Amino acid sequence: MKFLRITIPVLLLFTVLFTSCSDDDVPEAENEEEVINKITLTFTPAQGGDVVTATYLDPDGEGTEPATQEDIVLQANTEYELTMSLKNTVGDENEEITDEINEESDAHMFFFGFTEGLFTDPQGTGNIGAGNRNNDVNYEDVDVNALPVGLITSWTTGDAASGDFRIVLKHQPNLKSQSTTTEDGLSDVDLTWNIEVE
Amino acid sequence: MKKLGLILIFSLLLCTVYGQNKDCAADCSCSFDGVITDAQTGEPLAYASVQVEGTEKGTLTDENGHFVLEKLCAQEFDILVSYVGYKSVVHHHDLFHKHMNVQLAEDDMILESVVVEGDKQQSGLTTAAESKLSKKELDLVKNESLGDVLTNITGVSTMKAGANIVKPVIHGLYGNRILIINNGIRHEAQTWGSDHAPEIDVSQSENVTVVKGASAVKYGPDAMGGVVILDPPKMELLTGHLHGEAGVEAGSNGRSLSGNLLLQEGYKKWAWMAQISGRQQGDMKAPDYYLTNTGARNLSYMAGTRYHHKKLDLELSYSHVEQELGVLRGSVVGNLADLALAMESDEPAYTNDDFSYDINNPRQEVQHDVVTAKGEYNFSNSMLKFEYGFQANRRKEFDVRRSNNNELPSIDLELFTHTLDVEWLHPEINGWDGSIGGQWLYQDNNNVPGTNTVQFVPNYNNSRFGLYITESKPLDHFTLEVGVRYDYQQANVRGRGNDNSIYRQDLTYNSVTGLIGISKELGQYGHFRTSIGSAWRPSNVAELYSFGKHENEVEYGFWRWEIKSAGAVGTRDDVADQDSKPIDNETSIKWLATYNYKTSRHDLEITPYVNYIGNYIYTRPGGIISTVRGPFPYFVYDQTNALFYGLDASYIHHHNKTFSSQVRGAYLYVRDVSSDAYFVGIPLNKVGYKLNFEKSILGFDNVNASIEGNYIFKQYNAPKVISPTEIIEGEEAGTPVIENSNDRFDFAAAPDGYFLLDAQVNVTMGKLILGLRGKNLFNTSYRDYTNSMRYYADDPGINVLFSAKYKF
Repeated sequence: MKFLRITIPVLLLFTVLFTSCSDDDVPEAENEEEVINKITLTFTPAQGGDVVTATYLDPDGEGTEPATQEDIVLQANTEYELTMSLKNTVGDENEEITDEINEESDAHMFFFGFTEGLFTDPQGTGNIGAGNRNNDVNYEDVDVNALPVGLITSWTTGDAASGDFRIVLKHQPNLKSQSTTTEDGLSDVDLTWNIEVE
Repeated sequence: MKKLGLILIFSLLLCTVYGQNKDCAADCSCSFDGVITDAQTGEPLAYASVQVEGTEKGTLTDENGHFVLEKLCAQEFDILVSYVGYKSVVHHHDLFHKHMNVQLAEDDMILESVVVEGDKQQSGLTTAAESKLSKKELDLVKNESLGDVLTNITGVSTMKAGANIVKPVIHGLYGNRILIINNGIRHEAQTWGSDHAPEIDVSQSENVTVVKGASAVKYGPDAMGGVVILDPPKMELLTGHLHGEAGVEAGSNGRSLSGNLLLQEGYKKWAWMAQISGRQQGDMKAPDYYLTNTGARNLSYMAGTRYHHKKLDLELSYSHVEQELGVLRGSVVGNLADLALAMESDEPAYTNDDFSYDINNPRQEVQHDVVTAKGEYNFSNSMLKFEYGFQANRRKEFDVRRSNNNELPSIDLELFTHTLDVEWLHPEINGWDGSIGGQWLYQDNNNVPGTNTVQFVPNYNNSRFGLYITESKPLDHFTLEVGVRYDYQQANVRGRGNDNSIYRQDLTYNSVTGLIGISKELGQYGHFRTSIGSAWRPSNVAELYSFGKHENEVEYGFWRWEIKSAGAVGTRDDVADQDSKPIDNETSIKWLATYNYKTSRHDLEITPYVNYIGNYIYTRPGGIISTVRGPFPYFVYDQTNALFYGLDASYIHHHNKTFSSQVRGAYLYVRDVSSDAYFVGIPLNKVGYKLNFEKSILGFDNVNASIEGNYIFKQYNAPKVISPTEIIEGEEAGTPVIENSNDRFDFAAAPDGYFLLDAQVNVTMGKLILGLRGKNLFNTSYRDYTNSMRYYADDPGINVLFSAKYKF
C-alpha cells in the first residue's frame, strides 16, 4: 500500500495544479514609433499663391492594403519651399515621426531624385546613388554638425513638363558625414511620385 | 469521450500491474552483476575485488571483467570495488539498476574511478536510436554554443543568425520541432524565432545525448525531430573528499576568455555540487574583415544538493544562465535596395577596422532561471520518479531604431513555465517491462510593456496534460517495444493587432501518438534497432499571429491573411480562428533504423530515416506590398505535406592502440510533396574524416591529438533565386515577379561547398590538462547556407584556442 500512499497526494497535486490559475492580461497598448504610413509633401510658393500638397497614405501600415499616392502638380517657373510631414496613423494612432527625425537630425538625411529638366534650380537629376552626394539639391536646414537634413528644401520649376520625383530618407546612426550617400545606412523612406509642372 | 476512455485504460493498466511485486530481500534472493574495466583503455580487469560493505559478501571478476553477486538480503548497499594499482571506488548501489559498469583509474592517473549504472538508454526507450557525446568529447568543446557542440554528433546540424546565435537542427528539424531536456526539465523558451537560440550553457553539462528516433510517445509534442538530453554532473555519494574541476580557455578569434569552476562532494547520505562559468568574447573576425558587433557575454551558475535515504533519492537544484549576444551590425537593412547593396558589397556595412568588445544594437539579452526538485523512490521491484521544474525565461531584443527607442527593447518577453513529470517504472509482468507516466505543463507568457512597438506575439497561458505508457518485451529473436500517448492542450491567447485592437482566443488541442519498435542483437558485436512512431505539434504563436516586418521579411501568420478576390493573398482586418480558418495539427510519422557493429577494432553505425510530416507549417511567398520604404515581398504561413529522408553514418577504425580513424557523413533530402517544391534553408550534406592519436609519450601521462577535415556540400535542393533588384525592377515595370503561389524563392543562390580543417592536442600531466585547438586552420572564407548572415558576411576565420584544466 506504500505505493498508494505516495500516488494519491501526487494525483491530488496534479488535479489542483491542472485546474488552477489562468490570468487574463492583455498586452498593453504600445505607442508605435517605428511605422511610417503617411507622408505629406507641402510645396509653398515663395512669392505667395496656392499651397500644393501631395499625400502618400498606406492605411493599414504593415498590412497588404494598397497605398494611395497623390500626384504633385506645380506651377511652371515658380520657386517653392518643400516641407514634409511623416506620420503613423494606423488604427487610432496619430504619431508625428517628423519630430523624431528632427531630434535625431544628425543621423538622418533626405536625398532627392528627379527627371532632368523639371527644375531650373536645382539642375541635373538629384543626389541619389553612389558618388552623387554633392549633386545639386537646395537644402534649407542643417543638423548640429552643419550637415544638410532635407526636411526643408527649395525648388524652382522650369517650363511645363512631367516626370518622376523620388525621395529617399536614410537613417545613418553614427555614420552621417559629408560624404555619406544613399548607399549608407537604412532606408526609412523610398518613394517615387508622379510630378506635373504646368 | 475519447479522452475519458484513454484515462480509463491507463488506470486499468495501473491497477493490473500494481500489487504484483515480489520482494527479493525477504528471502535473500537479491542479485546483480556488472563489469569492471580500465578507465583509460577500456580493457576488462580480471580478479578485481567487489565487496558489499558491512557484510562478508564479496567476489572477484572473471577474465572478462565480469562479476555476479547473489543471495543478497537487501536491495541497496554500499559496494567497494578495488584492484591493486588502481583507485578504489565506493558506490551506493540499488537493485533497480540491474548492471554496474565500473571504470577503474590507475593510481597515478588524473582520471577518477567511476561507476556507470545500467546500460539503459538515456530516453528510457529500448528501440530509440541515441548518440552520445562522452565527457571527454564534451570537455573539448565546452565553451561553444549548444548547437555547435551538437554538430559533433552525426545528423545534427545548426541554424544560425551569426556565430553566437545557434540553434540545433536534428534531421532537418529545429525550434519547437525538437525538444531539449536539460537536467530532466524540458527547456521552455521563445522557440518560435529562428534567431532565438536555446538559453543553455553546455559547461553546466557532463554528457549530452541526442535521441534521433521516435520518442514523442515519451516526451510529447515538440519531440518530432528528436530530443537533446543534457545531464549535469552527477552528485555521487561517498566521494571521500572534495572533487572539482577548474578550467580556463582563451581564443584568438574574438579574443575570447572563458573560465569555469565545478565543486562537488558526497557523504554517506547526501551530496552537493556548485558550478560557475563565464565567458567574454568580442567581435569575431572573418578572414578579410572584422564582424563588427558580434561579441558575446555569458554568465552561468548552478547549485544542487542530493539526499539519499534507503529507497528514496531526492535532488534539488537551481541554475541561472544569462547571455548578451551581439548581432552583426551590417545585417540591418531598410529595404530591398539596401539588401541588394549589402549582398553585392565585399564587406558588410558598418565594419570597423578595429577589434572591440562592445556590444551595441542589434543585440539580444536573455536570462533563464530554473529551479528543479526531483525524486526517485524504489519499491521492491519498481520505481516512482517525479520531477517538478519552474523556469523563468526572459528575452529582450534591441534593434537599430530612432531616437530614444534604441534603449528600449523591440521584443521584451517573460515566459514562466511550471512542469511536473511523474513516471512509474513498473515491475515486470509476463516479460513486459516498461513505464507509465504523466506530464503536466503550465505556461504564462507576458509581453513586458514599454517597447514602443506593437507586440510581435500575444500574451498567452498554456496548459498541457499528457499520459503515456511504453512497454517492451524480449521475444524469441528480438525485443519488441510499443507505446501510446495522449495529450490535451489548452491555450488562452490575448494579443493586439497592428492598430492596437485587442483579440482574444481560446485554443484546445488533443492528440494520440504511438510507437512500435524492435531491438535485436545480431551476432556477438552487432545491434539493430528500428522504430516507427508518430508525433504531433500544435502551431505556435508566431505561425498563427505574426503580422508585418521581422528582420528583412514581412510575414503574416496563418490567421492574419485570407484569399482576396482574384486569388491574391491579403491581410485580414480581423484575426481568424479555428472556426473560420481551421488549422490542423502538424503530424509526423518517422521511421528510423540504426545498425551498430562494435568490436575492439571497428565501430560502425548506420542510421537511415524517413519522416513524413502532414500539415507541415512553413512560409511561402504571398506577393509584394508597397510600403513607405518601397516594395517588399511578403510571406504567409501555410500548411503543406513534407517528406524528409536521410542517412547518418560513422565508422571508427582502431589501427592500433595509438591511432584511430573516423569517417562520418550525413545526407538529408527534403521535399514539399504537395506542391512538388523545395523549402528554403534545408541543412547541408556533410562528410568528414578524423585521425586520432592517443599515447603516453614524452614523459606526459597522456597525449591526445586529432586532426579533422570536413567537407560541407552546396545545397542543390534549393528553390530558385529572385534577387532584390529583380523584384524592384519588376515593380517599376508594372510586372510583379512574385505572386501568390507555391513557387518558393530565395534572395541569393546557395553558397558553394567548403572544406574546413580543425585540429587539437591535449596533454595530461598528473591533474593538469593543457590543450590547444584550432578551428578553420586554412582560414577559409566561406558562407554557410543555414546561417541567416550569409547575405551579408563570411563566417568566422581561423580560431586558435588554448585551454588549461585542473581536476582534483
